Amino acid sequence: MKKVFHVMYDDDETLLAAARELVAKGIHINEVYSPFPIHGIDPVIGIKRTRLAIASFMFAMTGTSLAILGMWYFMISDWPMNIGGKPSFSMIENIPAFIPITFEFSVLCGAHGMAITYLLRNGTLPGMPATNPDPRTTDDMFVMEITTDTNSMDDKKLEAAIKKTALFELSIKDVK
Amino acid sequence: MQKESAIREPLILGHKSYKDITDDVIAPITGPAPLGWKILITISSIIAIYGVAQILYLIGTGIGVWGLNKTVGWAWDITNFVWWVGIGHAGTLISAVLLLFRQKWRMAINRSAEAMTIFAVIMAAVFPGIHMGRIWLAYFVFPLPNQFGSLWVNFNSPLLWDVFAISTYFSVSLVFWYIGLIPDFATIRDRMIKPIPKKIYSILSFGWSGRAKHWSRFEEVSLVLAGIATPLVFSVHSIVSMDFATAVIPGWHTTIFPPYFVSGAVFSGFAMVQTLMLIMRKAFKLESYIHVKHVEYMNIVIIVTGSIVGVAYLTELFISWYSGVEYESYAFINRFSGPYSIAYWTMMTCNVISPQLFWFKKIRRSLLATFILSIVVNIGMWFERYVIIVTSLHRDYLPSSWGEFIPTATDIGIFIGTLGIFTTLFLLFTRYFPVLALNELKTILKSSGESYKNKQDK
Amino acid sequence: MANTKRYWSGLDELDSTDAFKDIQGQEFPEAQSVDAFISDERHSSTTTGRRDFLKFMGFSITAATLAACETPVIKSIPYVNKPEDITPGVANYYASTYYDGLDYSNILVKTREGRPIFVKANTATGAGKANSRVIGSVMSLYDSARLQGPSSAGDASSWSEVDSAMTTAVANGTTVVLSNSIVSPSTTKAIEVLGAQHVQYDAVSYSALKEANSTAFGVDAVPHYDFSKAEVIVSIAADFLGSWLTTSQHDSDYSALRSPERGTQSQHFQFESAMTLTGTNADIRIMINPSDEGNIAAGILAALKGSSVSNLDEHTTAKVKAAAVALKAARGKSLVIAGSNDLALQTIVTAINQTLSNYGSTIDLERPSLAQRGSDSDVAKLIQDMNDGSIETLIIYGCNPSYDLANAVGFNSGLSKVKTSVCMNGVADETASKTTFIAPDHHYLESWNDLSIRAGRIDIVQPTIEPLYSTRAAQESFLVWAGAELTDWYSFLRTQYNADYTPAGMYSNADWNSAVHDGFLTEENDLVSPDYTGTIHTTIALSEVSSRKGGNFQLSTYVKTAIGTGLHAANPMLQETPDPVSKVTWDNYVTMSRTDMEAMGLNIYIAQANPASVVRVKSGDITIELPAFMQPGQKPGTVSVALGYGRGANGEFIGKAAYQTGENGDHLVADNGLPMPIGANAYPLTSQSNYDISIEATGAEYALACTQIHNTYMDRESVVKETTLGAFLADIDTPKGEASWNRAHALNVHQDVNNDGVIDSRDKKPTDAFDLWHSHPVEEVGHRWGMTIDLTTCTGCSSCVTACHIENNVSVVGKDEVLRHRDMHWIRIDRYYASDYSLEKGAEEGVNIISSYGKMEDPSENPQTVHMPMMCQHCNHAPCETVCPVAATTHSNEGLNQMTYNRCIGTRYCANNCPYKVRRFNWFNYKGHDKFQNFNPAADSLTRLVLNPDVTVRARGVMEKCSMCVQRIQEGKLDAKKSGTAVLDGAIETACAESCPSNAITFGDLNDDGSKVNAISKNNRSYHALEEIGIKPNIFYMTKVRNTDSQ
Repeated sequence: MKKVFHVMYDDDETLLAAARELVAKGIHINEVYSPFPIHGIDPVIGIKRTRLAIASFMFAMTGTSLAILGMWYFMISDWPMNIGGKPSFSMIENIPAFIPITFEFSVLCGAHGMAITYLLRNGTLPGMPATNPDPRTTDDMFVMEITTDTNSMDDKKLEAAIKKTALFELSIKDVK
Repeated sequence: MQKESAIREPLILGHKSYKDITDDVIAPITGPAPLGWKILITISSIIAIYGVAQILYLIGTGIGVWGLNKTVGWAWDITNFVWWVGIGHAGTLISAVLLLFRQKWRMAINRSAEAMTIFAVIMAAVFPGIHMGRIWLAYFVFPLPNQFGSLWVNFNSPLLWDVFAISTYFSVSLVFWYIGLIPDFATIRDRMIKPIPKKIYSILSFGWSGRAKHWSRFEEVSLVLAGIATPLVFSVHSIVSMDFATAVIPGWHTTIFPPYFVSGAVFSGFAMVQTLMLIMRKAFKLESYIHVKHVEYMNIVIIVTGSIVGVAYLTELFISWYSGVEYESYAFINRFSGPYSIAYWTMMTCNVISPQLFWFKKIRRSLLATFILSIVVNIGMWFERYVIIVTSLHRDYLPSSWGEFIPTATDIGIFIGTLGIFTTLFLLFTRYFPVLALNELKTILKSSGESYKNKQDK
Repeated sequence: MANTKRYWSGLDELDSTDAFKDIQGQEFPEAQSVDAFISDERHSSTTTGRRDFLKFMGFSITAATLAACETPVIKSIPYVNKPEDITPGVANYYASTYYDGLDYSNILVKTREGRPIFVKANTATGAGKANSRVIGSVMSLYDSARLQGPSSAGDASSWSEVDSAMTTAVANGTTVVLSNSIVSPSTTKAIEVLGAQHVQYDAVSYSALKEANSTAFGVDAVPHYDFSKAEVIVSIAADFLGSWLTTSQHDSDYSALRSPERGTQSQHFQFESAMTLTGTNADIRIMINPSDEGNIAAGILAALKGSSVSNLDEHTTAKVKAAAVALKAARGKSLVIAGSNDLALQTIVTAINQTLSNYGSTIDLERPSLAQRGSDSDVAKLIQDMNDGSIETLIIYGCNPSYDLANAVGFNSGLSKVKTSVCMNGVADETASKTTFIAPDHHYLESWNDLSIRAGRIDIVQPTIEPLYSTRAAQESFLVWAGAELTDWYSFLRTQYNADYTPAGMYSNADWNSAVHDGFLTEENDLVSPDYTGTIHTTIALSEVSSRKGGNFQLSTYVKTAIGTGLHAANPMLQETPDPVSKVTWDNYVTMSRTDMEAMGLNIYIAQANPASVVRVKSGDITIELPAFMQPGQKPGTVSVALGYGRGANGEFIGKAAYQTGENGDHLVADNGLPMPIGANAYPLTSQSNYDISIEATGAEYALACTQIHNTYMDRESVVKETTLGAFLADIDTPKGEASWNRAHALNVHQDVNNDGVIDSRDKKPTDAFDLWHSHPVEEVGHRWGMTIDLTTCTGCSSCVTACHIENNVSVVGKDEVLRHRDMHWIRIDRYYASDYSLEKGAEEGVNIISSYGKMEDPSENPQTVHMPMMCQHCNHAPCETVCPVAATTHSNEGLNQMTYNRCIGTRYCANNCPYKVRRFNWFNYKGHDKFQNFNPAADSLTRLVLNPDVTVRARGVMEKCSMCVQRIQEGKLDAKKSGTAVLDGAIETACAESCPSNAITFGDLNDDGSKVNAISKNNRSYHALEEIGIKPNIFYMTKVRNTDSQ
């Protein structure tokens, strides 16, 4: 049995201010729904920096090694051929010709790998249901989600604190 | 939130609120299709169908239905290929490079520019396919395990590099574009009343809800993708240029090609963006988002790249003389004085002279002039590829095999056809997709929106 | 006594039961009438349930699908008993001989599974090589236009019918046999048996030449000319390399004296108005009017006698004197010949050769040519008699008088007056379609014969395949019609050589067997020894020639290398073999000089979108309309027309390929509703001297398909290297790459190569010193197949082109495709004319480089010519290979640049990147597409039989090119393997090398130090075309040397 407060603001800056204010009071903000990224909100509500970039790098490196390994196998190891007299004896001599594809393949893996991870981590996939509390949050409204169970304060105090901010609308739900 | 100097022209005109932006962009999707759109799509789809018919005829009969011959083995096919790929580059450049440089003005145009990229690359991909003598064996170009055991492709061939470059480029741009679209689809989803469209858009929007964490990931992904796409876009056209640069044919065998091709690509790409934007802003009343300032910025890019291209042309000429290689020098003399000199001079006028007009602020800021010149530039860039391919081939080493290329109806028909397909796709896009990057525009409303700027002044 | 036996159908009938009685009447006892059947209630009630219906549906759809999946099965019937001399997959060669009235050649016929598929020279006789016409002749065996049996009055008939009619006709009534020159002793006998008058003629008559010799020396024959001894050759409009007399031997003999390694080189003067193949090879070529030919001869004679040269312009006079000087110096080792059939001229030439005492050395009348027996006067008389109606029966054999007689009109009218006429040609051609009967002779590949072109040797013609149709040897017909008791031609033939021959002992005669095996037998016969010293009276001749005057325009006729006298008009391979000089395929045209064409405002540049202008040529009362073609070297004020075109003009069906086809491949139809012939018939013009003709533009235009539209080599010395004999001899001993006329291409390097202390432009390294990477070893590793091509000895005769075309199943693509620059030839002969202009000249005259290049595109008025055979150079660093995305073209360990057709996806990148532009793309499905139905051998179910089973017919959309006859290399290697020896030099020959009459092309293993090709490749004349690209070809060219210093 907990209460869920959906506090709606009509401007990103007001929401940011309110968030700062509430957090200062030791209130924990679960989630913020906004139509566009509100710069500076992450530290306030305690969101850690994403590691997608590192993931992407990993994927790219995998691509690189796959490409080089593949080309070595196809051209040098498995069936070396005399094509226009170009050397098929050793990788080193052939490397220059392999660079373009190596690069392209790294990019391919890096980009797609990251994109897929991103979608999976977000849980945004084809046919997923929308979870934003109010359709307006994808337009011009900004909603803060605060629940009693993640806060030490009781709901009355909480509500009072929220009411103090320049909110636009407040909806309170009881959730089992 | 960052402030922007008041001297800078606002990027969003009029007194727009977040809501207005949403409504303005969604209007064409929710509202009924304008008559002009209907007419256009009818015409373009008829042309598209004609093009497809021509392609089927080609595949059914043989490459002989083109005007190619033993001396000129590539002409319109590869010309069109390079031309379309080039056009594609602007989109990626705008969304990736300008993003890295934090150019806010890109936000008005990147979405449709990227769409253009996707469609242009699709058109480009058609040609390497259909120019094959045996397209039904096209899968030979992939290093697939096969019943012959060790039968692999030739990784030394620039054409194979192309295969990888183009497919990578296409798929990455597609992903980049779609990831940007997801939040906007969400916006549309939440605006839609009719159940079916709502359902469709909610599927397309992958259940996006605009959580803070997702937004932070979103920005990270955009940034990294931009970072990857930037070298990619340069590599792709460099590799395309290597089809020629690595060959031994005088006029092809030139180390200058990669940078020259890339700038050429950006040049023609921006021109194409101009053409499309100028129509779109009128058709869908987006004047307050895409306006003179944006046009001017793009025109500046056109001057720069156009001049690079011009320098490249002159360098080529100089080197052909300086090298002292008789074949090289003849190839270039033949370009401007030979049977195909008209093509050469068209290219020179359209690509080197015409963009220089943009030095005049009046012309640079005149929408009509821009529109005309943007088309001129694209004609010029088509001829550039034609000159490089046909005039180099038709008179190469042995005078005995000097020949001439004369296009057939099928050559022309297929090119026109791709224009039709491209236009059709783009029209569909403008009708059912958010043509502006909603979420991004909203972020710059306060810094660059006219109304807010005025507030600052107060 | 009547047969009373009776048979019963069964016991029922025997004891005629009732059951039997009531069915007895009915035809189908069991059957029930249809009405009775449908009126039957039970049937109307039957229903097919839904389920049944679905079952049937399901079944039938599946069945249909399965049927569709099934690939068509082409049944091949195996040998029940394998013929002992046929091993499937292994070719048999049979020695035989080719003779058609124009060409004579000892040949080897290659047969596969009993099909003749290739004809090459039988060099055992040492009588030269086969030219393109002979090589191409194998196609005519499979011509779908061939008659399948005798016919009378156009309807199919039977031999018995024709024989009965002919026997009576011959028996009562004067009979004449009209034929081309018969060189077969036995055939002559067979005709004698017929006891009829025998008239012979040649399509191109040498009557005057014969007469001149007979009056001078009393030998009524055309002499034999020995070019292998002729150090100085003066030819007055005689195209002895292309079509004059029996060329097969001329080529080899001529080129033997051309190669400069022997320290000197024969010198060749050519006086002619048209640019003939021979003219392109001449050291000194002088353009003259046909009307001056006589004066030239007279001039030479005068100069030899030390008196003054008259009636000629200054320049020609000078050249005539020069020629005379050269001739004097080479007394007895020289030759003077004249082409035209003009008694006065030939008399003077005979006198010249006598003065030079060439008779007995280079000219032989002891063993003269037994061909060219035609006599114009006999033919004239025959036509006269025919028109008088004094000839009842005319037998026409081996010739086509209605087409190729100068007076064909007269002949045709005469023919209509002849009661019974029979023609023995294989197709219903111009003549055969007019005769009462056609008694088709075998194709030469189906028949026995004995031929003798010169006394002393008899060449055997043996069949290489069962006759395809119910044709019959002409000689057998003669015997039958003569009512001889021995009518079997083979027995008759054998009896000539051993009287006691019996069919039983067919194989018992060892001499005959070896003769058939070798293709010839030698026989002793008493030679005539003419007196070469007799005085020749030239006064009348001299006065006659001096009196000749020419008009504004003069005309000369010539015979084309590919089509010859017209016999091969229906042969697509030969039609598509480009003319060695003009490079035009599939057409006949009027060659004109540039100046004349400019004056008349005719189109000079002829290409895809630039058709030629049609002109009307009027000579006497003869008019022909043909497109005009700008021919450098054509004497201004003269025009030339080729004979042998305009076949089948009156709708005679002489072959699918003999008519013009449109873009869709259908025959074009003329206004008269008949298929449009190719070109126009110029034979009527040969009836007169055409010294004063008129020519006018008709305003019409006509597309000419040339395989080469650009004429000069633009001073590209790395393509063609040429020098003069003097310059060559000066540097004859310098090592390869250092001679002034063949300096290896060197590039500047940033290191002190010449150790002069400074690094400057003098520090160079040869191209082969550079390599981007450490490349695959090619030297000294197994085989490395290569070729050398000597530009000096190559005459451009195009035998290699035809041979390659047939050997490798190269598609014939027709005029329209050639017009679009899509000819498929794997080997082509690039013909370059010299230009007056050069960049140096431009620099001197201060002309800018652009217009210099412009001027260099125009050949000079009377240009020197280079013939450069060009095929895949099999580069060791092939640019085509590196660019193929799917590795469809790769390098073999034996130095071959190999195409893998079934891997090719047809990007054409390789073709674009080939500096020599030798790769050919299959633009269409040539064997299936309608466009090619009328000429591509692979598209015709009969002609298809000529295809070489060792070579794939390429699919649509793949790239192809010279494979260096890899199938032959493979065969050679296998043979060597079987015999357990190394592959010997010369054991393997490519089609081009094998067919080259002048041995300009040498094929072999470059890694074999003993090989000929290895030696030649090290010769200081040899170089790589475009060596500075550094692609290391395996084909070497040898600098062209001309003996022009004295001029």
